[in-house]
Amino acid sequence: MSDLQIDLHNESLILLPERAIYWPRLNTLFVADAHWGKAAAFRAAAMAIPESSEDDRARLDQIIARTNARQLILLGDLLHTKASRAQSTIETFSAWRATHPNLEIVLVRGNHDERAGDPPSEWRMTCVDAPHLIAPFALQHHPTPSPEGYTLAGHLHPGAVLNGAGRQTIKLPCFWFGAHVAVLPAFGSFTGTAAIRPRLGDRVFVVAGDEVIGV
Amino acid sequence: MAKQKPEGSLPVILDWFKRRGRTPFPFQHETWSAYLAGESGLVHASTGTGKTYAAWLGPLLEWIAENPDESRWTSLNPPPLRVLWITPLRALAADTEDALRAPLNDLGIPWELESRTGDTSATIRNKQRKRLPTALITTPESLSLLLTRADAADLFRDLRAVIVDEWHELAASKRGVQTELALARLRHWRPGLRTWGLSATLGNLETALAILLGTNQSGRLIQANVPKPLKVESIIPPTMERFPWAGHLGTKLLPEVIQRIDSGNTALVFTNTRAQAELWYQALLEARPDWAGIIALHHSSLERATRDWVEQGLRDGRLHCVVCTSSLDLGVDFTPVDSVIQVGSPKGVARLLQRAGRSGHQPGAESKITCVPTHAFELIEVAAARDAIRAGNIESRLPFERPLDVLVQHAVTVALGGGFRSDELRAEVRTTYAYRDLLDDEWAWVLDFITRGGEALRNYPEYARVAVQGDKYIVTDTQIARRHRMSIGTIVSDASLRVQYLKGGSLGHVEESFVARLRPGDKFIFAGKIVEFVRLREMVVWVRRATGKTGIVPRWGGSRMSFSTELAAAVRTRLDQARLGLFEGSEMQAVQPILELQARWSKIPAPDELLIERAKTRDGYHLFFYPFEGRLVHEGLAALFAYRIGQLVPISFNLAVSDYGFELLSPDPAPLEDAIEAGLFSTQHLLHDIPASLNASEMSRRQFREIARIAGLVFQGYPGSHKTTKQLQASSGLLYDVFARYDPGNLLLGQSQREVIERQLERSRLGHALERFSTGIVTMIDVPRVTPFAFPLWVEGFRDTISFEKLSDRVKKMQLQLERAADTKTRTRK
Repeated sequence: MSDLQIDLHNESLILLPERAIYWPRLNTLFVADAHWGKAAAFRAAAMAIPESSEDDRARLDQIIARTNARQLILLGDLLHTKASRAQSTIETFSAWRATHPNLEIVLVRGNHDERAGDPPSEWRMTCVDAPHLIAPFALQHHPTPSPEGYTLAGHLHPGAVLNGAGRQTIKLPCFWFGAHVAVLPAFGSFTGTAAIRPRLGDRVFVVAGDEVIGV
Repeated sequence: MAKQKPEGSLPVILDWFKRRGRTPFPFQHETWSAYLAGESGLVHASTGTGKTYAAWLGPLLEWIAENPDESRWTSLNPPPLRVLWITPLRALAADTEDALRAPLNDLGIPWELESRTGDTSATIRNKQRKRLPTALITTPESLSLLLTRADAADLFRDLRAVIVDEWHELAASKRGVQTELALARLRHWRPGLRTWGLSATLGNLETALAILLGTNQSGRLIQANVPKPLKVESIIPPTMERFPWAGHLGTKLLPEVIQRIDSGNTALVFTNTRAQAELWYQALLEARPDWAGIIALHHSSLERATRDWVEQGLRDGRLHCVVCTSSLDLGVDFTPVDSVIQVGSPKGVARLLQRAGRSGHQPGAESKITCVPTHAFELIEVAAARDAIRAGNIESRLPFERPLDVLVQHAVTVALGGGFRSDELRAEVRTTYAYRDLLDDEWAWVLDFITRGGEALRNYPEYARVAVQGDKYIVTDTQIARRHRMSIGTIVSDASLRVQYLKGGSLGHVEESFVARLRPGDKFIFAGKIVEFVRLREMVVWVRRATGKTGIVPRWGGSRMSFSTELAAAVRTRLDQARLGLFEGSEMQAVQPILELQARWSKIPAPDELLIERAKTRDGYHLFFYPFEGRLVHEGLAALFAYRIGQLVPISFNLAVSDYGFELLSPDPAPLEDAIEAGLFSTQHLLHDIPASLNASEMSRRQFREIARIAGLVFQGYPGSHKTTKQLQASSGLLYDVFARYDPGNLLLGQSQREVIERQLERSRLGHALERFSTGIVTMIDVPRVTPFAFPLWVEGFRDTISFEKLSDRVKKMQLQLERAADTKTRTRK
């Protein structure tokens, strides 16, 4: 795994190729757009989609082990829909939660959470409305500038389009840092990416396999 | 009164023909007798030679013979459903209804005749819910929908005959497979049911007949042999020097086309894509503003009402010219049409014949088509198509073998329509041509998939589609039933959005991907009008009228047409003649200077020779290969060659294909000589290398889109409903990846690979091509500039990427695409 450290508003952040950000000073991880139970919602609607969240849990385990974080802050869209609250989803993630007894988890509610409802109590998560302020950052789901701090957000499932010689082109999940807002890549493995349109001066870092690379 | 012998009613029909000033053709007599003798079969005749009445009058003759006492004919009590008439196009239903109604009215036969398609009004549908008419005109999809009714078996109790119109169009498609399965269902309820297909010219009519009838019966192939004079012409560009070597617009010949249109009463201008139709319509209107009101546009993304208006205008002879796509390819009888113009290559021999047949629709009249090349090489294609027609080399259609997605859908349909027992339905399904070799394992998989979601979903009880009660498979959940009825069918389109004026009417549909690139204020051409994008809200694209000019046209997906084997072979023959200095006919003479240039800068390859051109431009290092096998085969060869070179060195390619050849473009030179040495053209290890190259490319993932939709892994939403189903959307590429990783044994994945290999890449064609290269001569030429052959590939906009480098190594050589300045965004490539 090849992480990448950046400085932002005098804070040091580490971008992880598992599609998360680690903030060493507060020993905290940020993750956006997990969309758990999305496949379950499909199944509830009679579409036979296999579960892929095993990969999500493995990546979470990995970053928790690598950083020894004490806190995980979810930047919205944890559960996909109401139908995601299938027994299979709840049980699997309850079992996973039990393997991290000392980890504190905060969910900053996003648009999907409004409809899907707060996670079950067995998951032991503190749910808050946006913005969740931890100076110098405003933590929220929607990537809108905040008067109260630099925004760390999700929602967009950003993908950066790269071009190269020989008319090469590729779209990769990315971290996108603008003047007032940063957007994290979607964490969930059953999510897609949407091409972003960065402006001159923005900083963009793509996730290329097990590396984070500035582009 | 006693029943007559069936033939006894023939004089009534003969008399009817006489009153219309016609005499039945021998093939019509033959079809009637065969029908009355209880036979099934396929009638083959060119467009406009009387197929419809060949099929329709048999059932009428039979009924008249059974009900000889005219005094007892009363429309108050029409007979129950006796004849099903299946048509591939909703648009044809109205016309067919008129044609079928004529003898009913003239002879006072008290049959009730109705249509039931996606366009049928709710009132008529409700009435049909209680009772179906004596004869019902419907589409494969609407028929499947009828099969989902719990009382389905009852509905068809008195059914005597099914007639499938335009069977050549359906036979080798998944809609055809859907029809086969429905027919098997009907035959199960009505043993002895007669099936008649109507078909235009096909290379494999015997197979088409076998597909129609299934494995339990034989039938008769009836050939019309009614001569249909045909003329294929081209507009030759006045000066070839200024005529493009590539492109698809072809409006260079606009003045000549206008002249042609003006020399007749009503012209159909066929284009190969909807975008091209929009652009030609604009160009014609701009050149001839006086044609406003008598020129129209017709394609499948326009509002139904607009299309109806255009079709009616064609029948009435009110329109001078209609620019259209394949939306007007089929059946509709537009007698006033006296001139057909084809813009761009027809790509296939049968298609050219079909389109030509739109003119001179009456028996005996001459059909004429004028081809308008959009670039120089299309002249060769016209000459080649004419050769193929003369030699009778018409395309065969490759039938589908056991497509499990369609079977999954059908099994749910039958589970809804009264339910089924496994053994019974399996036996019934095996009577179809498509599933005659269905394996027990495959059937077991289908049942497992619709009940439990397959192996990967063993532990997820939230999934339930079909329930098993005792030994019966049924659907109990009304939500699932509703959603299944919404999803029936095998036609897959991109998520489409309605385009509507802020004040008033709706114009039609465009794809979401097009709208995603628009910004408020952008102008684009749609439905023959220039509109300005205002906003997107609730799945509606709001626009207002605009003036001025714009080159932006919506693009609709859908595969691009490829040369057929027959046309490709004919083109190779013409090129070989050119190589030997023989330029016969006006088209070849016109293109002579360009082919001579090709010979001078590089060469024209012999039939057993593979030409490879190597060039370096500021884009990178190009390899151009010219097998002349059609774009589908080239797509497979390009991926295969890229894969094989990628096994030697880490390299990334950008691929472009055309009907003539393909291009591998790379940022660094590719080790071509080493690759040839290592077996680039080898026919060995194909079973490994082809799937591997497919996985490396996007082809299997793309094919999976259709399969996922048909098998019910993707739900396209409720039509006409504002309720979005966004939470239940995932791109097919993502689905493919999830399945590949978590349910690799899913047979639908295998099907998608098989469909790419068998149908798209046409494995046999690909193998033959490789054999040709490995036994023939390979000529490699370093060219200083892009040659005439290479030019269309060089400017090709649709390109694929395939990489055999480590992702991070690739990324380090690339740059981020930034927001572009507002004035350079989304320009149409011309």
